[in-house]
Amino acid sequence: MRARQPDSTGRIDCDGVEIYYEVHGDEGPTILLLPTWLIIHSRFWKLQIPYLARHFRVVTYDSPGNGLSDRPLEPEAHGVYAHLRYTEAVLDETGTDSAVLVGLSQGGQFGVSFAAERPERVDGLVGIGAAVAVLLTGPSERGKYIMEHFEDPYPPRPPSALRTGGRDDRGDWAKYNRKYWLDDLEDFGWFFFGHCFPEAHSTKQIEDCVGWTLETTGEILGAEWDAPNGDIETYRNWASAVECPVLLIHGTDDYIVPIDYAKELARLTGADLVTMEGSGHIPLARDPVKVNRLIKDFVDRVAAPMVGSS
Amino acid sequence: MRAVSPDRMGVVNRDGVDVAYEVYDREGPTLLFVPPAPITHSRIFKGQVPFLSRHYRLVAMDGRGNGRSGRPTQAASHTRAQNLADMVAVMDATETEQAVVVAHCHANWWAVELAASYPDRVRALVAIEPGVPYLGRSQPHWVEANERWEEVLEDPQGWELCNRHAMVTRHRDWVEFFFGQQLVEAHSTKQWEDAVGWALQSTGEVLVAGEEGPDRDAPTKEEFEGLCRSLGVPVLVIHGDQDVCQHVDRGRAFAELTGGELVVMEGSGHLALGRDPVKVNRAIKDFVDRVVEVPSMKSQTWTRALDRRKKALYISSPIGLGHARRDLAIAQELKAFQPDLEIEWLAQHPVTTVLERAGETIHPASRWLASESGHIASEASGHDLHCFQALRSMDEILLANFMIFQEVLEEGNHDLVLGDEAWDIDHFWHENPELKQGSHVWMTDFVGYLPMPEGGEREAYLTADYNAEMIEHIARFPRIRDRAIFVGNPDDIYPEVFGPQLPKIRDWTEDHFDFSGYITGFTPPSPDEAEAWRAEVGFGEDEKVCVVTVGGSGVGRDLLEKVIAAYPLAKEEVPELRMIAVAGPRIEPESLPTHPGLEVHGYVDRLYRHLSVCDLAVVQGGLTTTMELTAGNRPFLYFPLRNHFEQNFHVRHRLDQYGAGRHMAYAETSVDDLATAIGDEIGRKVNYSPVETDGAARAARMIAELI
Repeated sequence: MRARQPDSTGRIDCDGVEIYYEVHGDEGPTILLLPTWLIIHSRFWKLQIPYLARHFRVVTYDSPGNGLSDRPLEPEAHGVYAHLRYTEAVLDETGTDSAVLVGLSQGGQFGVSFAAERPERVDGLVGIGAAVAVLLTGPSERGKYIMEHFEDPYPPRPPSALRTGGRDDRGDWAKYNRKYWLDDLEDFGWFFFGHCFPEAHSTKQIEDCVGWTLETTGEILGAEWDAPNGDIETYRNWASAVECPVLLIHGTDDYIVPIDYAKELARLTGADLVTMEGSGHIPLARDPVKVNRLIKDFVDRVAAPMVGSS
Repeated sequence: MRAVSPDRMGVVNRDGVDVAYEVYDREGPTLLFVPPAPITHSRIFKGQVPFLSRHYRLVAMDGRGNGRSGRPTQAASHTRAQNLADMVAVMDATETEQAVVVAHCHANWWAVELAASYPDRVRALVAIEPGVPYLGRSQPHWVEANERWEEVLEDPQGWELCNRHAMVTRHRDWVEFFFGQQLVEAHSTKQWEDAVGWALQSTGEVLVAGEEGPDRDAPTKEEFEGLCRSLGVPVLVIHGDQDVCQHVDRGRAFAELTGGELVVMEGSGHLALGRDPVKVNRAIKDFVDRVVEVPSMKSQTWTRALDRRKKALYISSPIGLGHARRDLAIAQELKAFQPDLEIEWLAQHPVTTVLERAGETIHPASRWLASESGHIASEASGHDLHCFQALRSMDEILLANFMIFQEVLEEGNHDLVLGDEAWDIDHFWHENPELKQGSHVWMTDFVGYLPMPEGGEREAYLTADYNAEMIEHIARFPRIRDRAIFVGNPDDIYPEVFGPQLPKIRDWTEDHFDFSGYITGFTPPSPDEAEAWRAEVGFGEDEKVCVVTVGGSGVGRDLLEKVIAAYPLAKEEVPELRMIAVAGPRIEPESLPTHPGLEVHGYVDRLYRHLSVCDLAVVQGGLTTTMELTAGNRPFLYFPLRNHFEQNFHVRHRLDQYGAGRHMAYAETSVDDLATAIGDEIGRKVNYSPVETDGAARAARMIAELI
């Protein structure tokens, strides 16, 4: 059972792609919890929504390709430019003039680009394990490896050790491969989310994410890979153009987006950086109490009206 | 002693009246403190200034009629317009373009006028118990007093003293009654004494003028409500729901009209800023940070729980050096139980000297601590230290240091707080239990304030009141002390009650404490070792060595001088006599008289070695030194400081349990008596009850269970 049911839900037609959204709560400023890479959908906010919706109006939407949104196979339906349209459409449809945007990983790209392009609609931005940073300085060694090998023939690899309580070695990034996804997306999910959660005792968080992975397909993820994206200069311009208050939350043990990238993003956007020592890529699932309180504190300071008695 | 001193003070003369101000220069926005003159002055904010001046620039003014400001007696000098112009003049004189105004009681009326007349100069308003006209509800006793304001009353009582004649003829009665009414909270003796004292720095005539002045140019109700509605600055109202001066509904109405935030303090009266300063301070800082600072949380690091190292924060009382060594001994034993435990010390001089020498980690925030030992020294005079009153008047220093401690703890996430007579932490955590975090170990070597006979009934009442508050604290919030350790044994506890209708100290302490036994911090030498120690510290075989030490506080000059004066006489009696006097860090050795065979040292490394093998010691009545001598089985003469309840009752009783030392009263001991006593006691074989040597390990074991 969900801890909290949405107060309203709906679907918006964006140029033929239907986007599913939810609204929780109706008091206070609005927070838009952005989608991330479509390998998971908006349920990944499950530990944030019940708490935040008691204080704010919370809006979420699913990336096309997962959750309750459509499953388009056209590359143009995915990627940062498509999400500029989806984000705006969701704000319009829910009657939200402006909101605090919160993004995980790739959601950070959606947030930074939207804050730069539509500053009047963004009260503040929170980036958690924000992946936009990877695009600020050019690809890492691993990024280059992935780009070189993504279209390689099916790479036979042993199954992820995560299912049986082990850990995978670094070489398994060969599984970041179109044909591998088509063949065994679940195994990729175990491997990938195992890397997302280096914290001990993370079985439930990994199982959740793999479960959501199974709601999409390798074919859709492949279409997303082909989607048009901004280059380094585009992202640097976007990051430099952000004027709203920005908070970055980043784990020291984030093996997906190393924290040095977050420091660069903090510099470009003038953000405050909360370093989560010992945390991986998705602290919002593994250390939800701390992350929830950071988000609330941030929203209180940048967007909440001054009220309160004690 | 104040917890912090202003960086500069000044006076601006306006319309023939001096208006005084103090400036605490810091980076950041300015807070302008406006007290409700002339009933009080800027010291009413003494609980706020040390804490807030670490975060903001402060300007604190004395309103006309009190403090260092002038004392005009004409009502025309106390109008709304005059008070408003004073605030502007102080802002101009201190080059304060814009400020967050923090005002108490009726100073809020002037603050409203300031924000309305000079909107650019007021960034926000913190209205503490706002005494603004018309709004909400008026207290009925003010209404009645107003009706009889002009009358000449025969023997007015209570609120009838609020009368233009009675305020002059019975000024003290009025202010004592008034503040007695305001301090509705139990155990508020110190706040009452402070408030009455500040009020008495003005006069009845000034007070009457201050009452009548504002009526001369008062706005109408509609005008004033209009001002509030269009104020246009963020407002924080802090109001006690038991406020007898300004009804809490007035604060509510003010918050509502101005669109402000309201913090209601339940159970608080009109002087919450003095009686519950921790809450008030944090509310002000939280508000100012939100409205003035760029919205920023500053970058920070949070460590996952299981990735954290075990960390303790050790607070060692700086009053006397004795705590430092026993705390070091406990810390070392603790590390034996918990090798991965990291200990940081929040400590001040002179404790830091000992810690640094031992290679311990001193938390950098230690540099902000207000000096407790400096305060104690400033309260001493001759061989006299009124220890209880000195602790009472240390209230603002304890508060200032508590606020630092709390910030350190909230940033550092310590698992364990070790407080060796860290009065501030124990007291303010019981007063603000929601702030407690980590496990807390309270350690002390005495329990119970005791009145000195010279203090009379008042002191007996005060000590009982302090003890009662402590007993109530612990009964209500047993979770604040996770472990309470008495450094000693049950027999060491003074056989008295805490006060009338209060329990026996021993019964209560046995119920609420664990006992570690005494902790000397070192093991006394065996007879064989003693020979070697004597050689090490340079005592000759044929010498009879008398060591005189008065601790580190500078309080001991009188005793030192008396012992030195007795030296020639004693030397006649005991030709082998060699006297070593240790002046401590605060007394210049060169300033003392010299004699052949008498050595005076400023500091002696590991003095306990000298004390352990001397033939006689002459000391004050402090526990550490006397117990070192007891543990080493040395004859000694001890002179408790006059009016020092701990030395005169607690320590003396404990030494009696061991049969140790010869008690002498400083005032009743002549130089001749002293020389005779030295002759009688030096080299005498003594056989005291043994002092345990495992106290530190026992304490450490009790502490280690918590982490």
